[in-house]
Amino acid sequence: MRKKLFFECIIMILGAIVIFVISTHDAFLYKQTILQVTEVSQGKTFKTSDEYGNHDKKTNQRVDGLILNGEKKGKKFSFQNTYAASGGLSQNYQKGQQIFVTISKENGKYEVTPTNYKRDTYLFMMCWIMICLLFIVMKIDGLRTIISVLINFILFLIIVQLDVWWNITNFFVIFAVSAVIFTAITLAMIVGLNKQFWVTFLSIVSGTSIALLISIVIMWITQDNGMHYEALDFATQQPKQLFLSATLIGLLGTVMDASTDIVSTLFELKRSQPQVTFQQLYQSGREVGKDIMGPLINVLLLIFFAETFTMAVLYFRTGNTIGYTFSWTMSLGLTQAVISGIGIALVIPAASLIAAWSLGGSEK
Amino acid sequence: MSTLIALILVLLCLMIFSGGRRGVSAFITLIVNFGLLFLTVILISGGFPPIFVMMFTGISMLAIIIYVGNENEAQTNTAFLATLLVLMVMLILIIPMNYLMQIYGFSSEQSEEIEAFNVAIGVNFSSIAIATTILSTLGAIAEAAIAVASGMEEIIEQGGSKTANELRLSGRNIGLQIMGMTFNTLFFGMFGGNLALFILISKLDASFGYYANSKIFVSETMLVIYAAISVVLVIWVTIEMTVLKTSKAKSGNKR
Repeated sequence: MRKKLFFECIIMILGAIVIFVISTHDAFLYKQTILQVTEVSQGKTFKTSDEYGNHDKKTNQRVDGLILNGEKKGKKFSFQNTYAASGGLSQNYQKGQQIFVTISKENGKYEVTPTNYKRDTYLFMMCWIMICLLFIVMKIDGLRTIISVLINFILFLIIVQLDVWWNITNFFVIFAVSAVIFTAITLAMIVGLNKQFWVTFLSIVSGTSIALLISIVIMWITQDNGMHYEALDFATQQPKQLFLSATLIGLLGTVMDASTDIVSTLFELKRSQPQVTFQQLYQSGREVGKDIMGPLINVLLLIFFAETFTMAVLYFRTGNTIGYTFSWTMSLGLTQAVISGIGIALVIPAASLIAAWSLGGSEK
Repeated sequence: MSTLIALILVLLCLMIFSGGRRGVSAFITLIVNFGLLFLTVILISGGFPPIFVMMFTGISMLAIIIYVGNENEAQTNTAFLATLLVLMVMLILIIPMNYLMQIYGFSSEQSEEIEAFNVAIGVNFSSIAIATTILSTLGAIAEAAIAVASGMEEIIEQGGSKTANELRLSGRNIGLQIMGMTFNTLFFGMFGGNLALFILISKLDASFGYYANSKIFVSETMLVIYAAISVVLVIWVTIEMTVLKTSKAKSGNKR
């Protein structure tokens, strides 16, 4: 037992070292040119301020570095950089960091422009830490959960790619269909293909579609009053459909969570007490629902709302009113959370009813 | 009437319909938490240090989520302490990682959106990023902690005398179930919320190098990873705390 533990520790530490060494020396795998900073000389710092009374400091720096890959491997280059103390868009480069750069030739002189900071080492290290932690706490079963998320992630990327390739007008259909596929695959991995699968699947689909339908009807009745779909970040397709597609996927996750909890509790109840009636089953389903409703909606509120903070601070600090900032940076996220809440509130009676009906009906 | 207000009213009605009196109290916690989040933004914009503001509002939100609507005091105390502990651990983990990875402020993909602004606004974008990362995972941590604590409490009540190892094992089984679903909720919530970004990245024909290094993609991925780590940690801490508490209670009974 102790020997096994020792062995596992060795693997975890070795894995971390291997990942670190490989990812700090993987420059030859990249097509983009990578520069390793060898020396930084800090220049002048000057104060800046804007018309809203915000004070910041900007500093010039000269960055010297060594090219790690490509044709110019081993050559030295340098460039000028200016960074702000607040660090909204610019970055303070430091010795030892690796940066992606583009090198262009102008009038016989090389011009180096930093494009991106190299983050892969830390990303892979954190993934490794997560995997090790999962293994320590949950053993092999924990890793299975990660695989289910990984499959969903790959599927998600494929669907997004399909959306880009097909480029159809009503692309919401793609995401609606994919939502059904997501549900089926996730459930099949968690509960397996059995009666419980069909009951959960049916309650998720009904809960999600009714919630979305209600939301769309309300948007239609209120004529999207106050909804700034054009404020959606990174929108490259019709914003309202994009918003609805994003909402649908977020909604699906929580509805899945709630209905799996309810249905599995009711199936467990039936197993331990086979004589339980339809009414009792339905009531216990509702009780489970009451327990999870509050925390679950709060999870969504925090996820959707906290992400808007950086932008909101920028709006507030540049003289915008509370109302304006709210409606342009936060209201879409809040709407997503509210629609997910509607889904959770709806799926509780739906899942209780469907599960009670399918379990209680067979006894009569 | 504005669409958002109408949707909120529908949510209230449905929560009352599904949850009765507890639906009302859940709705009130939502409103209070929303108020706290809004206060956080206002205070940070006002120049208060983001991490301290986050600690204050975050701990208040945790207390509200955990204590409102859960009557059993023993398990809520365990859950609350476990979440506080994990909050501290995550802070210690996120502060250096955020510095190393340089994920804060705005990404180059957002430059079109913010070109009208001068971003040198004198706030510490790094601290803001740390604060929002922790805030966005708090809900999931609280949910997992309550679920594990109450699940284990039930087992202790039913099973009577169990050894610490048996208790740990059943705690792990409960945790595993909760974790699987929570991961999916987080995954769909975070990636679904960023659907537009993913479509944009796909249109750019991004390479693997882009996914592994770009500020915006790495920061979104890190959000999911931090959330996953904190959920696993909170499940672990809750299990160990419950085991410790039961064994202490038992040895107390013997005397």
